[in-house]
Amino acid sequence: MEHIVGIDLGTTNSLIAYVDEDGPRVIADAKTGHKIIPSIVSFSSDGKTVVGRDADELARTQPLSTIRSVKRFMGLGMEHVSPDDHQRYRFADDQGMVRFAIHDRQYTSPEVSAVILRALREQAEAALKEEVHKVVITVPAYFNDSQRQATKDAGKLAGLDVIRLLNEPTAASLAYGLNTKQEGLIAVYDFGGGTFDVSILRLHTGIFEVLSTSGDMRLGGDDIDQCLAARFLLSDLSEELRRDPQVLSIAHSVAERAKSALSEQDETVLNFSVAEKGITISRSLTRQELEEAVDEIVTRTLEPCRLALKDAGLEPHEIEEVVVVGGSTRMPLVRQRVGEFFGRSPLTDLDPDEVVALGAAVQADTLSGRRRDMLLLDVVPLSLGIETMGGVLSHLIERNTTIPASVKEMFTTAVDDQTAVDVHVLQGERELVQDCRSLARFTIPIEPKPAGVPRVEVTFMIDANGILSVSALDLRTGLERSIEVKPSYGLTDDEVEQLLEESIDFAEEDIEQRLLIEARTEADTVLNATHKALYQNAAFLRQGEEEQIAQAVQKLREARDGEDYDLIRDLTEELSEATTPFAQRIMDSSIQEVLGEKRLSEL
Amino acid sequence: MSTTAVVQCWRCQDEHAAQVFCPVCQAIQVLSADVDYFRVFGLARNPVLDETDLTKMYYDLSRQLHPDLHQTGTAEEQEASLKNTALVNRAYRILRDPVQRGQYWLELNGEQLGKENNRVPAQLAALVFEVQEKLAELREARNTQADVTLAALKSELEQIRADLDEQMQGFQQKLVTNFAKWEHPDSPQDLLSELKRVLSDMAYLRTLGRDVEKEYSISWNI
Repeated sequence: MEHIVGIDLGTTNSLIAYVDEDGPRVIADAKTGHKIIPSIVSFSSDGKTVVGRDADELARTQPLSTIRSVKRFMGLGMEHVSPDDHQRYRFADDQGMVRFAIHDRQYTSPEVSAVILRALREQAEAALKEEVHKVVITVPAYFNDSQRQATKDAGKLAGLDVIRLLNEPTAASLAYGLNTKQEGLIAVYDFGGGTFDVSILRLHTGIFEVLSTSGDMRLGGDDIDQCLAARFLLSDLSEELRRDPQVLSIAHSVAERAKSALSEQDETVLNFSVAEKGITISRSLTRQELEEAVDEIVTRTLEPCRLALKDAGLEPHEIEEVVVVGGSTRMPLVRQRVGEFFGRSPLTDLDPDEVVALGAAVQADTLSGRRRDMLLLDVVPLSLGIETMGGVLSHLIERNTTIPASVKEMFTTAVDDQTAVDVHVLQGERELVQDCRSLARFTIPIEPKPAGVPRVEVTFMIDANGILSVSALDLRTGLERSIEVKPSYGLTDDEVEQLLEESIDFAEEDIEQRLLIEARTEADTVLNATHKALYQNAAFLRQGEEEQIAQAVQKLREARDGEDYDLIRDLTEELSEATTPFAQRIMDSSIQEVLGEKRLSEL
Repeated sequence: MSTTAVVQCWRCQDEHAAQVFCPVCQAIQVLSADVDYFRVFGLARNPVLDETDLTKMYYDLSRQLHPDLHQTGTAEEQEASLKNTALVNRAYRILRDPVQRGQYWLELNGEQLGKENNRVPAQLAALVFEVQEKLAELREARNTQADVTLAALKSELEQIRADLDEQMQGFQQKLVTNFAKWEHPDSPQDLLSELKRVLSDMAYLRTLGRDVEKEYSISWNI
């Protein structure tokens, strides 16, 4: 059966995992053995891409064409881009959705993410020796509809079928639940590279019910690195150097390494040098200094914790286990503050880098129909509503409502012969439209009638991915009205199609090459097995069979050295079929042997 | 709200009363959106119910209906699974909460809380007045950036929160007592009006509580 794999598309690191007989496991790169692909993408002037550690190297010399933490830009508009980001990258426009200007091209966030997804896919295909199409991708629980949609688009652009978007803390709870078989109330504190999430769950008889979730989608380890860089590396530099993309990029990396080192030891040395710019800074940094500097950032994670508990109607002490996830939870200060807040030490048995990917693989296993003992009941993180008169938001679906969730709303006309009603959908908790996130707009077509006569029932459905869809039913005519939703910060379906075509043109050569290699590998496997069987078990051959097999072997050998992968595949299949009866007889005989021996020993 | 309507199975064409699974071929049936929520869980229309049992029934139904477990099914199955799960989720959300459950139950009995919701309940008048006054003070302090006043108001707001919680618990108790009488009421009409009054007061209190929470979170960013 085709594997559905789980992907943790992280701000800092990305991983891919699947489930085999022994349970979920993260797939390592077949050559290097690395499990993690750093979420860094570098673009060369001819449009070629470099991902991961190699891109990290390039960031030093080509900071403007190397994108780190692209997840922080997913589904966002330019007005959400921070001043710091403006110094590190060049953008194509100062409004609308985020588009990076790199060399003479523009790249949207989903396109950049798609490069990472393709690298993960290749890593998995090389290790599993089969094609990977269907995936579960994790997203921060606090991601809004646009950010989820952008993640789905990234998957599409990477040629993947994203069958589910799964909330990261929920994924972690699955891996945790599978591991410990514990039941009860748990909190998952997920402090990653760019986002913070907290979810409160009830685990009961295989059901993972999310009671509430909260978070801050712009708070992560990146902020800690930036804070350290600003305080200890950049403070003495000139204004000009402090705005230099290369200087910023290197300072960020130095700070990140120091932070990691101080999770293990009490003191470290910051070696910050940019020869081209005449910078050489070397100074020591203690854990205490680091903790004082970032205390405020860590404290900011506790407010969402309070809110999530309140929404779940619980007190901190009622939580029976606290699971910590995400690279930032390696910091002793974070663990200490979480421990104080919940009044119990957090569980740290699970690798905070891997647990989300493992959970995604478990969910993929359920979705593929192989597993029926675990079920997630997740929630929508933000309330959904529509704009009403006076710029006020009218909530239709409250935050923390279990998904899938649907609600119906009746619309009519205000003036005679009105032919359409415009609807503006937003997400957020505040009352005024200006304080909430615009998600999409759509128009309901209406037959011209006197005001108030038309009655159109619009159904808002949030599916199990947390993504909104809208349908309309004209109650007078009983006709379904098709509705085209225009995302406020995202790609339309047509744009995704177009980008997909471009990327296919570009990658076609690569795919051909890959398919050929795969077909040859498969052919070699079958050829070797046949050769071995003929040599060891020639006695089982029937008359005429040997000749038939030899012919098939010959044909495949010739094709194998050619370039036609379809032919190689067909002939591999042919050989495989030709040897099936022969293989069956070998197998039957060995079973009889085993049974025979058993009887002998029983005598 | 007819629950005895006969529907036809989309798969085997069997005709049967509306229910979650076809009695003949076991296919998921798309329930009408206005189906009785009590019936969704196989319960009698009764506001008294054991919330632990309800949760168990909700879990059991989810285990059969949820889209995650029908991912490999046909398009019709997936559609039915999605729609029904959304419906079951809503039914559970309403029934697990005593106030919403009570209101829903009143609606099923042809009673509407409607406009009475906006009337200040007599026994709460003093409290309501105090709360509104404090909220006005709070907004004023915020607008004029009177930080000292704002800081002083925080503890008062927290006291108000506690008072509201206490009131709510009192009502909750009253509600449970009255619900319990429903099976053998001395006078159904009197009980119905009493329930209506309690639910209406609770709804009022809840709205007031939300206003307090909203102002609180805007003022102190929590």
